[in-house]
Amino acid sequence: MTPKRVRFLVLSLIGIGLIVVALFGVRAYYAWREVRGQPPPQDVLMEAIPDAADAELIRDWMTIPFIARMYNIPSSEFYEALDIPRRGNEIKSLTQLNSQYFPETPGIVETKVKTVVLQHITPEEPPTEPAP
Amino acid sequence: MSDFLLTQVINYGAPFLGAVVFLGALGVPFPGTFIVIAVGAFCRQGFLPWPTTGMVALTCVVLGDCLSYGMGYYAREPVQRRFGHSDRWHKAQDFFQRWGGMSVFLSRFLITGLAVPVNLISGGGGLTFRRFFFYDLTGEAIWIFGYGGLGYLFGTQWEAVSDFLNNMSGLLLGLVILAIGVWLAFTLWKRNEGSKQQVPDV
Repeated sequence: MTPKRVRFLVLSLIGIGLIVVALFGVRAYYAWREVRGQPPPQDVLMEAIPDAADAELIRDWMTIPFIARMYNIPSSEFYEALDIPRRGNEIKSLTQLNSQYFPETPGIVETKVKTVVLQHITPEEPPTEPAP
Repeated sequence: MSDFLLTQVINYGAPFLGAVVFLGALGVPFPGTFIVIAVGAFCRQGFLPWPTTGMVALTCVVLGDCLSYGMGYYAREPVQRRFGHSDRWHKAQDFFQRWGGMSVFLSRFLITGLAVPVNLISGGGGLTFRRFFFYDLTGEAIWIFGYGGLGYLFGTQWEAVSDFLNNMSGLLLGLVILAIGVWLAFTLWKRNEGSKQQVPDV
C-alpha cells in the first residue's frame, strides 16, 4: 500500500469514527434521558395492579389476543367493537387488521382497541344519592 | 421489520425467536438485541416462559455462530493462499490468537455489529473451535439473559431501554473505529519519526 493510501485510510477511519461517535452519542444521550424520564416499571396485568394499566402501551404490532391477555379483557369484546370475525384474525397485528378491514381510515383499529381498554380501566363513578 | 418480527414472536414464541437469533448470527440484519429485550418484557408479563425461551434462544444463536465460524473455516484456504505468505497476515493472526477470545466475547453483547466478521476471522484460523465455543457461549449467555433480563426488569419501559442500548452499541462501535484510526496514525507518526532520525545530517 502506498503511503498516500495509508494516510487516506487512517484519516477515513478517524473521520468515520468521529461521525459514528457523534451520531450515536447524541442519540444515546436522548435515549438515556427518555429512560430516566419514564415512570417506574410496572406490570400491565390488570389482576396484579388494577389501576396501573395504560392504554398508551398499545402498539400497532400487537395482536388482539395479546392485548386481551395484557389487559385481562375477553378478546371477543375487541372483535365485537371492530365488527370483524375472530377466526383467521388472531395472529394478525392491528396494522394488518386495519389495512384489511379499514384501508381508507388508517389508525382506526388502534383507536377502537384503545377505546375498549379505556372502558375497562376507567373507574366507575360512584352512584349519586338521590336528593332528599 | 421490527414490528413484523414482534408480531411473529408473540404469535409463535420461542421457536420464532430461535430462528431470528440463528439467522442474525449468520449475518441477516435482524434487530436481535431489540427482539431479545422485548422478549424479556413479554416473559415478565407472562406471555412466554423465560427458562425455555432463554435456552432455545441461546442454543440457536450459538448454533448460528458455530455455522458462521464454519464458513470462515472452510474459506480459510483461498484466503491463506492469497495472504498467507505476508508478514502482516502472520502478525494479524498472532494478534487474534492473543486477543481473539476477548473479541469474540465482547462482540456477542457489547459491539454486536462486529459479531459476524469476528466469527469469520475466528474460523479462518484465528482461533481454535474450542476457545471460540467457550467465549461464544459465555458472551451469548450474557446477551440473551443479560439483555433479556433488562427487558424483564424494565417491563413496559423496554422500548426506551432497547433504544438506549442500541445507541450505546453504536457509540462503542464508533469508539473502536476511532481508536483503531488514532492507533494507526500514532504508529505511522512514530515510524516516520524513526526514519527521519536514521537519515544522517549532511
